[in-house]
Amino acid sequence: MLSAALVLMVVVPAFGAVVAGALKGDGPRWALSVGVAALVVLIGIYAALAAPGYRYHAAVGTLPWLDAMLDGPVFGVMLDPLAAVMLLVATVIGLFTVLYSTHYLREKNREHATGHEGQARYYFWLLLFLASMVGVAVSPNFLQLLIFWELTTLCSWALISFYQDERSLRSGFKALLMTQAGGAFFLVAVLILFVSVGSVEFTALARLPDGLRLWVFILLMIAAWAKAAQVPFHTWLPDAMAAPTPISAYLHAAAMVKAGVYLMARSVSAGWAVPPAGAIALGVMALATMFIALSYYFVQDDLKRLLAYSTIAHLGYVLLGVALGGLGSIIAFRGGVLHIVCHGFSKATLFFCAGALAYVTGTRSIAALGGLARSMPLTATAFFVGVLAVAGVPPFACFWSKFMILAGAIELRGGIGPVLVVLVLVESLVSFAWMLYVGQKVFLGPVTRLAEVHSDPPPAMGAVLLLLVLACLLAPAIGIPLVEMIGR
Amino acid sequence: MSTLGLLGLGVSLWLAGALASLLAGHRRAASGWLSVAFLVCGGLLLAAVVVRTFTAGPSPEAVLLRVGAIDADLVVRVDYLSALFLAITSFIAVLTALFSVEYMSRYRHDSVAKYFPLLLVLFVSIAGVVTTADFLSFLVCWELMTVASFFLVIFERESREGMRAGLKYFVVNQAATLGMLAGGLVLWSRVDSFHFLALRDAFGALLGGQPALAHLVIFLFFLAFATKAGVLPMGSWLPDAYPAAPSGATAAFGGTMTKLGIYGLLRVFLEIVPLSPATRAWGLVVALAGVGSLFVGTLTALKQDDVKRLMSFHVIGQVGYMFLGIGMGLFLLARSPMLGLLGLLAGVFHMLNHSLYKSCLFLGAGAVYYRAGSRSLSEVGGLGRYMPVTALCAGTAALAIAGVPPLNGFASKWMIYATAVKAGEQVPWLVLLAIVAIFISLVTLASFIKYLAGAFMGSRTTEEPVREVPAAMLVPQVALALTCVVFGLVPLMPLRYVHAAVTGLLPEAGLPDLAAALGDGPGLQMAVGMPDVAVWAPLPVAAALVVLGLFSYYVIQRAGGATVRDVPAWTCGEEEESTAAHYPASSFYVPFKHAFRGIYPQVRVTPPPLPVWLRRVFDVDRWLHSPTVRMVGRGASGVSRTHVGIPQVYLLWIVLGAVAVVAILLGLIG
Repeated sequence: MLSAALVLMVVVPAFGAVVAGALKGDGPRWALSVGVAALVVLIGIYAALAAPGYRYHAAVGTLPWLDAMLDGPVFGVMLDPLAAVMLLVATVIGLFTVLYSTHYLREKNREHATGHEGQARYYFWLLLFLASMVGVAVSPNFLQLLIFWELTTLCSWALISFYQDERSLRSGFKALLMTQAGGAFFLVAVLILFVSVGSVEFTALARLPDGLRLWVFILLMIAAWAKAAQVPFHTWLPDAMAAPTPISAYLHAAAMVKAGVYLMARSVSAGWAVPPAGAIALGVMALATMFIALSYYFVQDDLKRLLAYSTIAHLGYVLLGVALGGLGSIIAFRGGVLHIVCHGFSKATLFFCAGALAYVTGTRSIAALGGLARSMPLTATAFFVGVLAVAGVPPFACFWSKFMILAGAIELRGGIGPVLVVLVLVESLVSFAWMLYVGQKVFLGPVTRLAEVHSDPPPAMGAVLLLLVLACLLAPAIGIPLVEMIGR
Repeated sequence: MSTLGLLGLGVSLWLAGALASLLAGHRRAASGWLSVAFLVCGGLLLAAVVVRTFTAGPSPEAVLLRVGAIDADLVVRVDYLSALFLAITSFIAVLTALFSVEYMSRYRHDSVAKYFPLLLVLFVSIAGVVTTADFLSFLVCWELMTVASFFLVIFERESREGMRAGLKYFVVNQAATLGMLAGGLVLWSRVDSFHFLALRDAFGALLGGQPALAHLVIFLFFLAFATKAGVLPMGSWLPDAYPAAPSGATAAFGGTMTKLGIYGLLRVFLEIVPLSPATRAWGLVVALAGVGSLFVGTLTALKQDDVKRLMSFHVIGQVGYMFLGIGMGLFLLARSPMLGLLGLLAGVFHMLNHSLYKSCLFLGAGAVYYRAGSRSLSEVGGLGRYMPVTALCAGTAALAIAGVPPLNGFASKWMIYATAVKAGEQVPWLVLLAIVAIFISLVTLASFIKYLAGAFMGSRTTEEPVREVPAAMLVPQVALALTCVVFGLVPLMPLRYVHAAVTGLLPEAGLPDLAAALGDGPGLQMAVGMPDVAVWAPLPVAAALVVLGLFSYYVIQRAGGATVRDVPAWTCGEEEESTAAHYPASSFYVPFKHAFRGIYPQVRVTPPPLPVWLRRVFDVDRWLHSPTVRMVGRGASGVSRTHVGIPQVYLLWIVLGAVAVVAILLGLIG
């Protein structure tokens, strides 16, 4: 029953994608897409509640010609706390994205008016994206993960290039190229696993001899860096801001980049056998990414690009937590995984706010906006809550995850812990100050010419913002019990 | 119902009030009265908590929530210190909200939905801060307080100064809090618990094993509390942020929020850090920080023209007195429990008094702004005739803050001086600190004379008549001013609870009881049993003052047959406009302003730009990805050049390929 539910979670949106693409009218298409996304969320909740102790593993199908050579079935479903976290983020934010899109992609959008044409394409790829993210989350082994992983790359390529102007086509291609190059490393890692231990299970990583394990981990790490836009592969993500804003939100908060950090979390937690050198490399690069991304904050004028750099830095937090987990701190690992949830909801809030601003004013330029709080109180509230949540101000979401990462860091031996804590806190403070400054610039102060608008965005978008504000407060309440089960 | 049950219910009522006032946000008066109603109901329950705690002793602890992921319990409890702060908070909360109901009608274009709910959340978080017994929930409430107050500071969103002040406020406080977080984590990593008592064990171990780290952690805590309390130089956010908020909120800040810095100081130094040489050393730091702050803060206040900015600098100055008292107490505790206790009592009592008169002053400034439409002392004037009750209350509070007997400010300041002088027999330089404090008390008086003269006396600069503010705005001011008088006349009454709060933190230190420390009333007798007892008897002094006043009014004036004439000011026969002859507030104390010009330097911080070469290095696209893509592209076009369309050439490639394959195979086999 549970495996049927999990398979359905992939099949329903995939099938829905085809139907949504084939439908003629826009109204039915919106209704269908929202319905499908909502159904997936419902099944997801069922699965999360039905899983006893979160150790569910079932075979679904296999490939006859690989049967003899592998120790397990090729296709299957798996549900453990980590997968549950990813499912929660991908499906709930997926639903929000679809709901938001139904009003965002309209003629009335002052930044990018979108009419009837393109709608079919958009919802096809969006629902397929949802299906492939669910696939990534429930994959029981590296091979299936790789397949869905590449599918997310494909979907994001199509969606980033959605507007089909010069810039978005280039950005889409860049995203495809860079993440695909990373995917190649993933493929090599899977091949090495297959050849040397005859398995593609996650746990096979622990069975590799020491030296080879390090190399495989490095290959996986490069793949994850490319996917999660970490230094030195961070450049595709800010360019991907050419995508429609709901897509950016989904890419950043729940899909695509989160697949990268999910791979790392999987690799580290499968057997907890990561070589220390690999974990240290992961941690060092995560820190470097955080600070390099931070250095880009101050020169951004495009609100979405600023948020993109913030995402890069926050994925650094997740990877830092995962790396500390690899070095033996389970609290930091849980913190890192919790950060997937917390950052997901807070960053989605910020992106949807940026989308609302663009929808109403037609610009995303920080310099051109000012004093919007008076005409857009809901958006302003959501944005400030998002900023506080992302910056880790208690009691909002990211505080709890950052706190756990810090708590894990301080327990490290050899004096490195306090240094890490200081670095993380400095990054937190500076990025918080800047985001707050930008929030004040956009929403407070004198009203600029472009900001002379009279209302918040339409109700569907407003409802999503309101729900996300609540999620920014409540995400840890759901996330913490889940991550507590990791590593038990 | 248990004490904690009452507490939970009271705080929940406040939270419900926040929600109710948010939902009623589009209706100005309804929102305000709803919040007052909820605050009163919740406040009564909290008052019951306070009464119960002081009669039946501290409540047992209760675990509110368990966060298993980090093995943390969120613990609540009410001890004497919590009860003392709960009492202040409830009292000030009700009064400031009541004042705000009418006051907020000034802001016609701003919805009260972003005022009352935040004010209530602020009070909830303050109640949370003072009733938690573990670091994690303390931190959460502490930050919630900063968040709520930040949004109150940026209430007037069109003003750029308000924005800048809000940003500075939040960032500076966030920095301090993150430091405290790091300190707390260091302690946590030793004992795996956030409970205050566990942290105490951690400190004990740390002070023995790694004293440098222990002092660093204490420093981080001190920094966080000093920043919140507004001690210079960390407190430089305060004179910017306070005036930006609406007056009701400013009164709440001055009366409750700033005081939590003192609360934190007491908790950390008396409960979390075990009594040790570190206490003594840090007591010295606290006292010196206090003296520096009261000196610079009050002298800068003298120069201010904006009423609220003037009062904000006095917050800094007054917090300096509290730090001085508490610091001396900590410093002397090991040497003489009696003197240590007196210092602590003086500092905490001063904090209590300051809550009362500073709230009253801020409310008075709000009343002036409400009617006269300006906060500049040079623009208002002569309001005393039109707003007599406000003037009377503001006058009482101003004299109280200046330490004029027999008001409450004098009582606590007198205790600080007396402690310093008494301790001076053993530590002579403490007397120096007392002398600075006494001098600054005069400066305070001078600056409040400027306030009273500028705002309430003299003549109106414009002819427009003003009216007294409505009753809902008068009641809070009168209540606060009356409490100031009562606390001044019978200082032992509040001191009883202050004593319970302080000694409750140090059960094993063997501190003297109240009668030994301050006599058994109604006045104060410092350190009964020690030689040279200092005595302050407010009731006889007050009676004498009253008699003197009546005497001068009735006997001298009546007997002399002097009559009161209402005539225009005499301008030496010149025909001048009354404004030209007006002595504006900005002309007060000019020599002082020159003498202390550089005492409060303005520093502008500009972050250094990122070097160009570093930016180039970070731009990976430019030196890595783009060249790679171009190279691959060139390679691909090179390969494509082999496709020439001539069959013979393809045949040649096939032959070459075959040779290569054979060679490789042979190489592998051989």
